[in-house]
Amino acid sequence: MRIGVPGARAILAVAFVAGVSLQAAAQAPASFPEAIKNPFAGDAKAITAGAVLFREDCVFCHGVGAHGGMRGPDLTTGSWNHGGSDADLATTIKSGVPGTAMPPNNLPDDEIWQLVSYLRTLQQPPTTVAGDRQRGETLFFGNLRCSTCHIVNGRGGGLGPELSTVGSARSRTYLVDSIRRPAAQLTPNRIVGDSVSLKYDTVTAVTNDGRTIVGVPLNEDTFTVQLMDTSEHIYSLDKKSLKSFRHDDRSLMPAYDAARLNESDLNDLVAYLQSLRSVSASKKGGRP
Amino acid sequence: MGLLGVLATVGVSFAQVTPDRLVNAAREPDQWLMYSGSYDGSRFSPLDQINRTNVQRLSLQWVFQTRVRGTHETTPLVIDGVLYMTTPQNHAYAIDTRTGRPLWHYERALPKEMSICCGPQNRGLAALGDRLFLGTLDAHVVALDAKTGRVRWDVAAADADKGFSFTGAPLVVKDKVIVGVAGGEYGIRGFIDAYDTQTGARAWRFYTIPGEGERGVETWKGDSWKRGGAPAWVTGSYDPELNTLYWGTGNPGPQMYGPNRLGDNLYSDSLIALDPDTGKLKWYFQFTPHDVHDWDSTHTPILLDETIAGRPRKLVAVANRNGFFYVLDRVTGAYLLGKPYTQVTWAKEIDGNGRPVVLPNTEPTAEGNRVCPSGTGGTNWHSPSYSPRTRLVYFFSYEQCDTFMSDEKLEPPHRPGRPYIGSAFFPVPEERTHSAVRAVDPKTGTIRWEFKEFADAWAGVFSTAGGLVFSGDGQGNFIALDAETGRDLWHVQLGASIQTAAVSFSVDGRQHVVITAGDALFAFALPKDQ
Repeated sequence: MRIGVPGARAILAVAFVAGVSLQAAAQAPASFPEAIKNPFAGDAKAITAGAVLFREDCVFCHGVGAHGGMRGPDLTTGSWNHGGSDADLATTIKSGVPGTAMPPNNLPDDEIWQLVSYLRTLQQPPTTVAGDRQRGETLFFGNLRCSTCHIVNGRGGGLGPELSTVGSARSRTYLVDSIRRPAAQLTPNRIVGDSVSLKYDTVTAVTNDGRTIVGVPLNEDTFTVQLMDTSEHIYSLDKKSLKSFRHDDRSLMPAYDAARLNESDLNDLVAYLQSLRSVSASKKGGRP
Repeated sequence: MGLLGVLATVGVSFAQVTPDRLVNAAREPDQWLMYSGSYDGSRFSPLDQINRTNVQRLSLQWVFQTRVRGTHETTPLVIDGVLYMTTPQNHAYAIDTRTGRPLWHYERALPKEMSICCGPQNRGLAALGDRLFLGTLDAHVVALDAKTGRVRWDVAAADADKGFSFTGAPLVVKDKVIVGVAGGEYGIRGFIDAYDTQTGARAWRFYTIPGEGERGVETWKGDSWKRGGAPAWVTGSYDPELNTLYWGTGNPGPQMYGPNRLGDNLYSDSLIALDPDTGKLKWYFQFTPHDVHDWDSTHTPILLDETIAGRPRKLVAVANRNGFFYVLDRVTGAYLLGKPYTQVTWAKEIDGNGRPVVLPNTEPTAEGNRVCPSGTGGTNWHSPSYSPRTRLVYFFSYEQCDTFMSDEKLEPPHRPGRPYIGSAFFPVPEERTHSAVRAVDPKTGTIRWEFKEFADAWAGVFSTAGGLVFSGDGQGNFIALDAETGRDLWHVQLGASIQTAAVSFSVDGRQHVVITAGDALFAFALPKDQ
């Protein structure tokens, strides 16, 4: 047997990766000394073993070939959000990244180093982004009106996902794709748990008196749905009392295509989003 | 009169659970004497005080908060006024059924690290005499004194460091307590054990994978049988007349990597029929030969009698994780029926011998292959139920497909006690899923009705003579359905995922229904003035 429903599935997958540690919560996060080097660097056997481990433990979030998946970033970009030294990677694998979906993994050290060996074989040269971060911030809160729906460090609206640490969690490719084609990969809504079934899609409800309510689901169960419309009104609806109710796999965010957002502005905006990092990421600097 | 009443007024000793009481459990509807309520696996209560006409009046009687972290998957026992329940991490409690107040608490000192794939779960106890039996996460079997929770004996069944554990509820048959091992993800060789209830001495062991020189070992490439998994982690059923034990077995290992274990991999993903006195195999039926999709067949077997083609038959019914609903002759193991109850893309059908007609290109691939049902299956370990009133089988069903990945070049190493999986499966992000409670006619395999639930439901079902089927969703709704039609009659939001099935009992003449949601047990009954 293995793993549960999508929500529980993810949780159990994490439990599985981590093994079951009864005292995990009481333990201080483990970290590797900064000077330590991977004892298996370049070792062919270790790379294969790491590939096996990656398939068992990491693909669920980081995707096939580590190109990014449902929750985790692309690990092939050559840019590391939480530090790219051997010690940084080993620590990230072992201790996870607080505030993100990356859990601690209770693996023996040799398996951690095998994973690091494997990850090193996937690296592409880092892409240089020539965007102007400051100008991107101005666009975000100004002309592009991103902050109408997205909050960053306390400023902005509540309809879309918070972006205060999005630079730590998402690759440049993912960010560009999310701006150009918001419906391509709808962000899971993890506010009230770990389910991948709740996401920032579009719900349309028609009440018995003929009102149409369109919004983003905040929560849902078999009998009810709670949603927020674009004016940030929150509705609690009994499904049985509705004339119709449906989910559409589209985002309420407009697609910022080339006509709406030119390449230069896009680069500036992405440079700003990439600068939004969790505390641990900003300390590390993010480069090997 | 319940235990507490007895003690308060007469001081008579605690009632004994005898083998006869277990065989005739259906005649004592005020109790819940074993995991499935009775040996036939039906999880049906003959109580009808709570029924279709009054279920809307159900009201909360008490809540017991265990404060043990993790959603509970346990089924309580109820014996003479006392409820016995377990929690994750091998806590056990005795609780006064009138008030919800605990009488004792057992907590096991577990090793710091354990190889448990899917959470430190425990699904319940078994009882005989004045003892309760617990299979532990560190692969021991423990007998507890039912009055005090103190240990009467404790035996190690296997080495927990090598990936063996117990998560299921044991089953008592005559003077033996029977337990099936978990650990199919850790390169174990699965088994079912029987222990003497008095002494804890092991009476027999049935390996779910044949060994050197035994028939069936040839269905494993090389020596892969030594670490081929086939655990037995869900409680089986028992037919006292046939003196036959029915128990499901789990996936072969590594679960999604097949090249190093070519062959059918007996007796993984099978229903096995054993003599409970000796542990000798009577027959087996394998649902998914050479499984590479993690489709354990550990479901609770439902034993029922029906007339098929004009002939009365003793049957065993199983909704299998592979997406097909099966009915077998439980005397011989002969295949009678296999029909899909959910979306199935891996097999065209089940042939006349009960073997799936596997479709091409449905094995896991290096880049991933979408197959339905999902790796967690069309259903999973969740308890099904059978109502002799409606003559329908009820079970939880999950509508999802998964991407299955496995790279032939990446053979997983066998490291005892460490995962032995070889790959992964995960949902297709853009696809929506939902769950359902389904009612199936075991004579035909036809779906009679379904009740759709929101995604993430993960609960078993329970039916009653009151014409009700109880279920729950992943968001915390405890739901009562009409057993004839599937119409929802009542629900209550309990605030945390429901991941087990309800049971029923009576105290002071009042029928109660209890369910765990999150880490609490909730007891419902009709108001006292009804």
